[in-house]
Amino acid sequence: MWRLGISACAVAALVLAEGFTFNIASPVAAQDFHAKGAAFVFRTQGCAEPAKAAISGAAEGIVKGERRSVALKIMMMGKPGVYAVYHEWPAEGDWVVNLKGTCADSIAGAIVPVGPKGFIRESSKFFPRPATDAEIDAALKALTTGGGK
Amino acid sequence: MTRHPSRELAAYIDRQLPESWAGRIERHVAECTRCGNECDQIRAGMASLENLPMVEAPDGIWSAIERQLQARPSREPWRRWALAAALAVVIGLAYWGVGRRSGVRWEVVRLAGTPVVGSKPIEASGHIGAGEWIETNARSRAAVKIGEIGSVDVEPNTRVRVLVTRPSEHRLALVRGEIRAKISAPPRLFFVDTAAGTAVDLGCEYALQVDADGFGRLEVTKGWVLFQWKGLESLVPAGASCRTRPQAGPGIPYFDDAPENVKQALERYAFEKGGGDDLSVILAGARVRDTLTLWHLLSRVPVDERGRVYERMAALTPVPAGVSRDQALKLDAETLKRWREELAWTW
Amino acid sequence: MVPLSDREISAEIINSCRSGDRDAFRALYDLYKDRVYSIALYFSHGDAAAASDITQQVFLKLMTGIAQFRGDAEFSTWLYRLVVNACMDAGRRQKSAAVFSVDRQVDTIAGPGSPEDDYSRKQIASSVRAAVSALPPKFRVAVLLRYFEDLSYEQMAKALQCSMGTVASRLSRGHRILGERLKGLVRRP
Repeated sequence: MWRLGISACAVAALVLAEGFTFNIASPVAAQDFHAKGAAFVFRTQGCAEPAKAAISGAAEGIVKGERRSVALKIMMMGKPGVYAVYHEWPAEGDWVVNLKGTCADSIAGAIVPVGPKGFIRESSKFFPRPATDAEIDAALKALTTGGGK
Repeated sequence: MTRHPSRELAAYIDRQLPESWAGRIERHVAECTRCGNECDQIRAGMASLENLPMVEAPDGIWSAIERQLQARPSREPWRRWALAAALAVVIGLAYWGVGRRSGVRWEVVRLAGTPVVGSKPIEASGHIGAGEWIETNARSRAAVKIGEIGSVDVEPNTRVRVLVTRPSEHRLALVRGEIRAKISAPPRLFFVDTAAGTAVDLGCEYALQVDADGFGRLEVTKGWVLFQWKGLESLVPAGASCRTRPQAGPGIPYFDDAPENVKQALERYAFEKGGGDDLSVILAGARVRDTLTLWHLLSRVPVDERGRVYERMAALTPVPAGVSRDQALKLDAETLKRWREELAWTW
Repeated sequence: MVPLSDREISAEIINSCRSGDRDAFRALYDLYKDRVYSIALYFSHGDAAAASDITQQVFLKLMTGIAQFRGDAEFSTWLYRLVVNACMDAGRRQKSAAVFSVDRQVDTIAGPGSPEDDYSRKQIASSVRAAVSALPPKFRVAVLLRYFEDLSYEQMAKALQCSMGTVASRLSRGHRILGERLKGLVRRP
């Protein structure tokens, strides 16, 4: 059934998959009480079948000068294509969240810095591909040199 | 351990075995390549499940359940409920009041000083039921456990009454003072009545203050709160606040980091018969996230001012598909909801 | 999957259900519906209609039988026993239903020489669904119950109506089969 569904919608997915990206926001945007405690929420854009997009994420950080990585459980919200990221990484250190998504043949990536006051929308970066290690390191460097809110 | 503990490896990994048993398996696995490999496979299998998201049940299931229950013979519960409901109406409010008072009692824990429930001082902990009051003085504080859905801290100089303690409705009345609520439940299970209206929990954490004159302030720290009074509604998200006044209901919500002159103009506009000048200050000072305020203003300004508010909102952030100027100015409910949900992604 | 602690059922709700409070039933349904449906969906090879039927049956039985239910401590166990029975009954009825061609799907994705990083999360998720789908029903339901509900082995034994040793054995074998089938495919993000 899944395979049939995927095939039936493949054409539509291909049409819309161009421009596939993420849109991040405060947890209130999810309009879902489960998101209340999230660090931030995000949604897919430009994805014809958001319910079928594959999403993963990791928190990348520097704690006492040491590089750390924490796999994240991305929680799907009630509305298709809307997800919540919870604060699963240590309180100590500087951290960014590295998101990756696949919708049909398109890939989207994002780096979302999270400062002491929450996620930093203005410093977030979005890519039509997974973020590179260099880009993650640069985002962390920007945070450690005072980019955090 | 001589035999390979293949059958118990998941229990060992899940920490479900007694300590001594787990210790034996740990030592065996450390020395046995076969069992070590099996453990790796089991862990990989467990990790693979992280790729299975929870799926929301379709809306139609509940309707189907209701239809089936209603189609059953009269001895089935739905019919009994209907009969019980009819009886409750006949017996009247007195019966209802008694029923409510004899309902669930919530735990009260002293946080400081000596809070009082009814006339009984709370030394460490106690209970409060529907119809009873809790009161704190300048030195006392208390926490009330709201059934199974959260808790409310009762701050100093506060007087609160518990009204309803049903699982489907948890309701307090805040007469004066301050409460801080932390609720983890689906929306619309927790309510706080005040002289200026009712705060309806939509899954949130918030502080609600009411002074001796009934003037209040709602400050939301997580989730959403709906404040309503006689058909007037203010939706307040995390990071935002809303003033409330008796006989005026909720004011217009604003983000706490909004420009001061905007906040002052809002206060005048909502409660002090402010006019076009104040509206101009609000519109000029509004930032993208202040579309929260502008969205509420759209339905509060006179009809001939709606266009100004709409234009400012459209200038701050693109109007989403499905929202037309015409429908927005007519305050079409679906259009406004659609717009608010989209604007929330910028808040 | 993270179990949501704020969804835990309360004695208050159960008592209200037992006295026929319709709002309480709705609250109970809202608390559990997604987990029950998810287990049913993955158990039924992704067949949404079958999962809806199972979910409906479970809650109908729950609502008509809750008056006989005693003690809220084991409510989850009782609910999930209904889920297990409904899933297994549906599984028996649908024995001839088409199942994913798991091996072919995994082979296609996990061909030799393909670096792990090339696999999209979507493909991985699809393979995991297929691998779960191909587990024997008793292993499948145990694995799903453990994952979505995070029940203890003792609670699972009651829900599955077997010994804790049997639970441990089914989970060991079920997870091992998944690990073997998805070898090299599943990784932490």
